Amino acid sequence: MSGLLMDPAEQGLGAAELFVEDIPPLTALAARAGLDVVAAADWPEPGDEELPKLAGFVHSSFNPLVAATAGRCLQRRAESAPPAVTAIVLVTSLGDVASATHVAEAVDAGGRVGPLFFFQSVPNAVAGLVASRWRLTGPVVCVDSTDAGLTVARLLLADGDADEVLVILLEQAAAPEAITGTSHDTAAAVLVAERRTS
Amino acid sequence: MTTTMTARRGPGEVVLTGAAVLSAFGRGMTALADGLDAGTPAFQPVERFDVTGRRVGVAAAMPGSPTLTDELVRVVDEACDEAKLSTAQRAGAPLFLALHGDPALARVAETDRRRHSSTAFTAALAGSTGLAGDLPLGAGLRAYTTACVAASTAVADAAAAIARGELDRVVVAGGYLVDADQFALFDAGRALSTDGQVRPFSDGRRGLLLGDGVGAVVVESATAARDRGAPVLARLAGWGRAGDAYHPCQPHPEGHGLARAVTAALQRAGIGAADVGYVNAHGSGTAQSDVAESAALHTALGEHAATVPVSSTKSLHGQALEASGVLELIVTLHALRTGRLPVNAGFLAADEHCDLNLVLDGFTAATPTYALTLNAAFGGANTALLVGSA
Repeated sequence: MSGLLMDPAEQGLGAAELFVEDIPPLTALAARAGLDVVAAADWPEPGDEELPKLAGFVHSSFNPLVAATAGRCLQRRAESAPPAVTAIVLVTSLGDVASATHVAEAVDAGGRVGPLFFFQSVPNAVAGLVASRWRLTGPVVCVDSTDAGLTVARLLLADGDADEVLVILLEQAAAPEAITGTSHDTAAAVLVAERRTS
Repeated sequence: MTTTMTARRGPGEVVLTGAAVLSAFGRGMTALADGLDAGTPAFQPVERFDVTGRRVGVAAAMPGSPTLTDELVRVVDEACDEAKLSTAQRAGAPLFLALHGDPALARVAETDRRRHSSTAFTAALAGSTGLAGDLPLGAGLRAYTTACVAASTAVADAAAAIARGELDRVVVAGGYLVDADQFALFDAGRALSTDGQVRPFSDGRRGLLLGDGVGAVVVESATAARDRGAPVLARLAGWGRAGDAYHPCQPHPEGHGLARAVTAALQRAGIGAADVGYVNAHGSGTAQSDVAESAALHTALGEHAATVPVSSTKSLHGQALEASGVLELIVTLHALRTGRLPVNAGFLAADEHCDLNLVLDGFTAATPTYALTLNAAFGGANTALLVGSA
C-alpha cells in the first residue's frame, strides 16, 4: 500500500533490505486509509532552518524532530474545533539510533552513561512530552510502518479510544539512495479523524 | 466529547489459542509456573555482562547469554504448535512483535543500519517461523516499540482487529533479554532498586529491577478457533489503552490514564468491577508509579479495589520492558487456569498510599472468572487487558 518492494538483488543489497520508491505523502496515505485529515505538517517546510532544541533531551535530532513536527501540526487544528481525546502514534523503524549508538559506545568503553539518555531511550518520552503539552489523553503507540500506524489510528477511532489521532512519521525519504540510516532530519505529521459520511 | 468516552468494539469474541514463554525462571510454562508457585524472586548478581561501576549489579536473568532471535523463534513456534496452526494458517497470520529494536543496531556500521531496523528484524522472525508469508508486507508485519506497553498494546490492537472481523488470528510476540545497554541506562537514571529486591506497593520500595522475558500468544477469533477445533486457553474479554498527558516519564499521580484504560476494558467485556477476581498489576516497585496505580484501581474499581486480590509479579520475574505485556499476560493465564494467584513478593510493610488487597505470604488459591493485567510506561502510556476463563 505504501510503495513497491524493490528486488534487493537489483540494488546489490542483502535480502533483509526493504525499499520503497515514490512514497506518497502521508496526507494521501491517510486519505487512502479512509481517514479525514484535520491538519498536516512537515519538517522541514520552506523557510525552516535549524531544528529547535528540545529542553531535557540531548544529542540526537530524533526527539526535537518529533516535538517540532507534532507541534506544528497541532497548531494547525482549528480553534473552533470541538475538544477531542487525541491519541499519538509515532512511526519509526530505526528509532533514535543516534542516542542508541552513543550509549553503546559509552558502555563498550566501560564508561558512564548520561542520565538524560535513560529518559530518551524509548520513543515514549517525547510522545509523553507532546501529549502533556497538548493534552493528548488518548493511547500512545509506536510502530514501525506507515501502514501499521494508519491501521492502528483507524481502529482507535472506530473503537472510541480517541476522537482524533496524531500520526507522526519519522524516516521519510524521497529516494532509495537517501535511506542511509543516518540521523533523522525529516518528518511528517497528520492529525486524522474518522471520515465523516454526510 | 471531552475525557469521558464509552469504549466500542467489534462484535466478534476473541480468544487465546496458544502461548509460550521464557522468563528468568527458565524456558517454558512449567519453569514459569514453578517459579510463580514457589514465590522466590529470581534476582541474582548479573553475570551476563560487566556491571563494574554500576550502582546496582542485580537482575532477573536466565543463566548464560541467550540470543533474542533464537528465543523468539522458539516461543513463536511453540505457541503456534500449541494452537495447532497449519502451515497455511501460519502463512496467513500477521506477526506483531514488541521489542526495543534489533539488539545489533547500535553497533553496526551506519551503512548497514537499514538491515537492522525493527521492520527487518520482524521480517526475519516471520521468515524463520513461517508467519505472514501470504500477506502484503504492510499488513503482515508490525513492530511495536512503545517501551513497557509495547507488547500489551500489540495484544489490544490484535484483539480490536479480530473483534471487527478484519483478521482471524494474529501471533503477538515480545522479547527482552537483560542487556548491558539498557542496564547502564536504568542504572544511570537511578531507576534500579538498590536493595536487591522489587517491592511493589510496599513501604520501603526502592525501584525496579530488569528481567528476561520472551513470550508469544496466538490471539484468535473465537469463531475461527471453533471452526478448526482449536484449543482455547482463555478469552480476551476486554482491552483498554489511554494516556496520562502529564509528563514525559512520570505517571499522572492519580493514575488517570490507567483508570480510563481499566474502565474501557471492563466496558468492552460488558462486566462490572465486582466481576474482576484478580489483578496482575503493573507494579514496577517505584515510588510514584505504585501510588498512581493504586489510585487508578480505586477510581476504576470503586469499593472493589479494596478487596480484589492484587499482585505484581515483577517482584518475582523482574521488569521485562517491551515484553512485559506478553510475559504478564501469560502469568495471568497461569493464574486463571491453575487457580493459583501469584504472590506479591518483597513486601515489607503497608504503604498508606497503596491501599490494596495484596497477595502476600505465597500464592492464593482462587478461581476467578476474570482477571486484569495492567501495564504502564514512559510517556504516560497505559494498557489494561481483561482475560476471562475459557
